Amino acid sequence: MNPFVLSILLLSLGLGTTLTFASSHWLLAWMGLEISTLAIIPLMAQHHHPRAVEATTKYFITQAAAAALILFASTTNAWITGQWDINFNLHAFPASLLTMALALKMGLAPVHFWLPEVLQGLDLTTGLILSTWQKLAPFILMCQIMPVNSSLITFLGIASTLVGGWGGLNQTQLRKILAYSSIAHLGWMVLVMQFNQQLALLALVIYIPMTFSTFMIFKTNSSTTMNTLAASWAKTPALTAITPLVLLSLGGLPPLSGFMPKWMILQELTKQDIPLTASVAALSALFSLYFYLRISYAMTLTISPNNLNATTPWRLQTTSSTLPLAISTTISAMLLPLAPATLALLSP
Amino acid sequence: MAYIMLTLLIGMVLGVISVASNPSPYFAALGLVLVAGVGCGVLMGHGGSFLSLVLFLIYLGGMLVVFAYCAALAAEPYPEAWGEWSVLGSVLGYLLLVFGGVSWFWGGWYEGAWVPVDELIEFSVVAADSGGVALMYSLGGGLLVVSAWVLLLTLLVVLELTRGLARGA
Amino acid sequence: MTPTHFTISSAFLLGLMGLAFHRTHLLSALLCLEAMMLALFIALSLWSLQLDATGYSTAPMLMLAFSACEASAGLALLVATARTHGTDHLQNLNLLQC
Repeated sequence: MNPFVLSILLLSLGLGTTLTFASSHWLLAWMGLEISTLAIIPLMAQHHHPRAVEATTKYFITQAAAAALILFASTTNAWITGQWDINFNLHAFPASLLTMALALKMGLAPVHFWLPEVLQGLDLTTGLILSTWQKLAPFILMCQIMPVNSSLITFLGIASTLVGGWGGLNQTQLRKILAYSSIAHLGWMVLVMQFNQQLALLALVIYIPMTFSTFMIFKTNSSTTMNTLAASWAKTPALTAITPLVLLSLGGLPPLSGFMPKWMILQELTKQDIPLTASVAALSALFSLYFYLRISYAMTLTISPNNLNATTPWRLQTTSSTLPLAISTTISAMLLPLAPATLALLSP
Repeated sequence: MAYIMLTLLIGMVLGVISVASNPSPYFAALGLVLVAGVGCGVLMGHGGSFLSLVLFLIYLGGMLVVFAYCAALAAEPYPEAWGEWSVLGSVLGYLLLVFGGVSWFWGGWYEGAWVPVDELIEFSVVAADSGGVALMYSLGGGLLVVSAWVLLLTLLVVLELTRGLARGA
Repeated sequence: MTPTHFTISSAFLLGLMGLAFHRTHLLSALLCLEAMMLALFIALSLWSLQLDATGYSTAPMLMLAFSACEASAGLALLVATARTHGTDHLQNLNLLQC
């Protein structure tokens, strides 16, 4: 792709999300969402092979329908209450419509079906943008409309954690597994959003470096299925040793930083006296843990047999920059002791 | 006036049903033309002559020419109109849904809600909608810039998406 | 609930249902999206007209510009899909499921 076009597209991605962040008017928020959807479309289809074009088409139709639904809900709200402000208390019916539309935009559970298929058709860099940056704008909008309809939100969160665990169980395609992991993490964020928005933000802030390092690890190994990961010990031994830490951090095991949001969220849910929801969410994390463990097993805990020539690629110098990956793996493995500081940073 | 508005509104719902009931794209485009034309009438009835003109010129003049072009791209030998059973079934289903909605809200219509009540229309020099659209060039300058940017962006998007022919896509 | 508001809401929701259920052609799905945007244009215009909110007459114009962008991106995707898949039938978009 032409670098000028690429820079315009990336600038527009930033512009769209920033516009949604900065807006207090629903029309402007809708414009931001539309700009970021339009800007990522050529990035998704940049290799022009049939799977990429198909994924782009599916993504476009879903996002366009969700954006139109957002505008329709806010128009209905304006028709009922006469207000266009995002922070103004919404009428109940448009608020439910908005919640469902934002869930469709982010890929939460009852309306998540587009996300694994779309992610499967993309290359890993665009998939990374799709599963981190593109979620920010609908996430912030959802935070802002939160005080209404709590039961719908709880349903979305629980269904997302369950589906995100369940769907990834039988997958061997890494991008689909990452899509389901994204669904499950968003479910956790949405679950706590109505009680404590700092915790939802904390979960998002921890989720982004973990996902970044996972995508970058797979990109460094240039592998998109689980069985190509088995040869990664010969390509990047140090990274192969660190990968289980990152994956189990995504799964939320204690000494790693992915444990921090799950711990805080479970504590908050118990504090709000809804132990059933908390237990279902905690148990559904086990599903996710299963497939993270399976990736770790295939990648690190076994050394697959290899011929003599193929055991030496790690001696070759890599050309890509590894500094971002180093920083993000460190963050996603060792942030737990900094939990009080992180919380203090995020609270207003 | 109330009868005209009633006819226009019913025509609008029928037009959207004819688009939504999955006929062949030619006929769906025809239904969309119907919706746009009727929508112009509705806007006229509410006193928005400028917005109605914009809808007529830009929408019918620009958009549907493109869609007619693309309907030719997606041509099929045996087009399905609304007489086919599969299409007719969904038309009847959607009609039933709309009737259900109407009967749900029946009796809850506001008094005199068929025609807009506008006492101030004689006192203003400029019509409300054309004056409001003109505000886009003064107060809404930022929004105008954003729209121009998104039009440029769409140009690049379309060019990037459709240029793969030489590479075998 | 005025009859006008009911008509616009049902027009939008019918377009959404048409998009969600049983599409054969990608072009039909795009036409349904266009019907939704048209209903939104009329809704925004009528909101500003009925409330005499002069400044809000700008909103439908901007929305029309954005929906035109969306429609053209959709048509470009239609062309790209017709090139890669040979047809615009939505049931042929099945490479990614597994």
